[in-house]
Amino acid sequence: MVPPARAPLRADPLRALNAPQPVRVELDGRGLPARVARAAGGKRVETVGEIWRVDDEWWRAPIARRYYEVVLEGGARVVLFEDLVTGAWWLQRPA
Amino acid sequence: MSLLSSETAACCWIPLFALRCEAARRPELVSRPAALLAPEAAGRLWQVSPLAHRAGVRPGMTVGQAIGLCPSLQLCEPDPIHYEAEFARLLAMLGAVSPAVEPAELGRAYVGTDGLEGLYGSPQRIVAEIRRRIAHPALRLGWGRGKFVSWVAASRAAPGGAVVVSPGEERAFLAAQPIAVLPLDPATYRRLRRLGVTTLGGLAALPEEAVAAQFGRLGRRLWRLAAGAVVEPVVGRPAPEPIVAALRFFAPVADRAALGQALDRLADRALRDPRRTGWRVRVVRAEADLEHGGSWAVTATLKEPSAERARLTAPLRTRLEYAPPAGAVERLAVAFTAFAPGTTALQLFARDAQAAARAGRRRALREAAREIRLRLRRPLLFRVVEVQPWSRLPERRYALIPFAP
Repeated sequence: MVPPARAPLRADPLRALNAPQPVRVELDGRGLPARVARAAGGKRVETVGEIWRVDDEWWRAPIARRYYEVVLEGGARVVLFEDLVTGAWWLQRPA
Repeated sequence: MSLLSSETAACCWIPLFALRCEAARRPELVSRPAALLAPEAAGRLWQVSPLAHRAGVRPGMTVGQAIGLCPSLQLCEPDPIHYEAEFARLLAMLGAVSPAVEPAELGRAYVGTDGLEGLYGSPQRIVAEIRRRIAHPALRLGWGRGKFVSWVAASRAAPGGAVVVSPGEERAFLAAQPIAVLPLDPATYRRLRRLGVTTLGGLAALPEEAVAAQFGRLGRRLWRLAAGAVVEPVVGRPAPEPIVAALRFFAPVADRAALGQALDRLADRALRDPRRTGWRVRVVRAEADLEHGGSWAVTATLKEPSAERARLTAPLRTRLEYAPPAGAVERLAVAFTAFAPGTTALQLFARDAQAAARAGRRRALREAAREIRLRLRRPLLFRVVEVQPWSRLPERRYALIPFAP
């Protein structure tokens, strides 16, 4: 069915799934995450697992991130990444 | 008993209200036999003027039959919006006399008069006050205990006159009245006549149980009304503030499919009205102004109040199909005129879960999702879609879009 010509064209709004959340991260002496805080207090990092780096879109707005898969106190497993362009830290759910 | 309830009642009745509204606009109808076409049964008569009645024309006849009996009959297209607007004006005037006003049908309303003695005095003075405010020559007034007694009194009053049934005299007054004043269907009326019952006194003289055995619950109610054993109070209802959405077409539209789509659009728009939030619609109404004058209106009361467009417009679409407007439509409006409190989302799902068992989960889910969207005016159900599943950036792989099953 062809939509009426006068009907306003509007795409359904997309909401990113697993959008990064800003966090504050304290580093230990080796430069690895030691404490993660989204609000007051925060949680200690118990284990740092895999670490990897992503560089992408160098041809327009370069993206450079270093990812850390960590286990927080209490057992929650999350992914942190440092934006190597801005220096900000972000938190995501593991894939 | 609520504050808006009253045992004593004044019945205000203007017979042939719609036809009189028409005659007020077209004075030539007064001196000629005239009839109004039925709004919902094309080709049949609704109201018939006394001159036409004298010529043998009756309500419910086809136009062909009526013209056969009375070739000079003036036929009028109905304009229900106009009649209801006039009736609303009448109710507003009655509302200035008493806070308890209960409309019964077009042209007939009850006014609760409990406590008005302090303001106006005796029942005769209360009735005189009503007449002073509604100076219509055809207005008949009746006063008595309960709606039925006041209605019978009004039906006995001459045009412009009033009948007051004093407390304690109800039984004697009712006994002499014909059974036609009872709320009867034609078959029951004929049956009672065949049994030799012609007056309320005759009916009340029969044993109540015998009447109930013959006519069931209706019979028991009729007996109690006839015997003056029941007093039905006037119950004034707070007038709901209607929500109306209307559109005027660029050019008059007669195509039913286009009108149906317009009804859907208008219902959607009315559902989005912020005043509707938290309420489900109980009574929905469609009104149309027609190209060459006249109007068309349908009102539907939903068994199950709803906030879903399809349920609200289904009865309107049915009427559009079977009793369409008599001409092309210039302006169309959808109005919600009565409401019921909304349910919580949890109850909503519970109800739709039952529907799922009956009609399939997908359909029930679709209805529940639409109702949530309409009620909360923002989507709360989402579907996960792949955007760039190959991306190395997790937030770019998947996204949520509003769920529309």
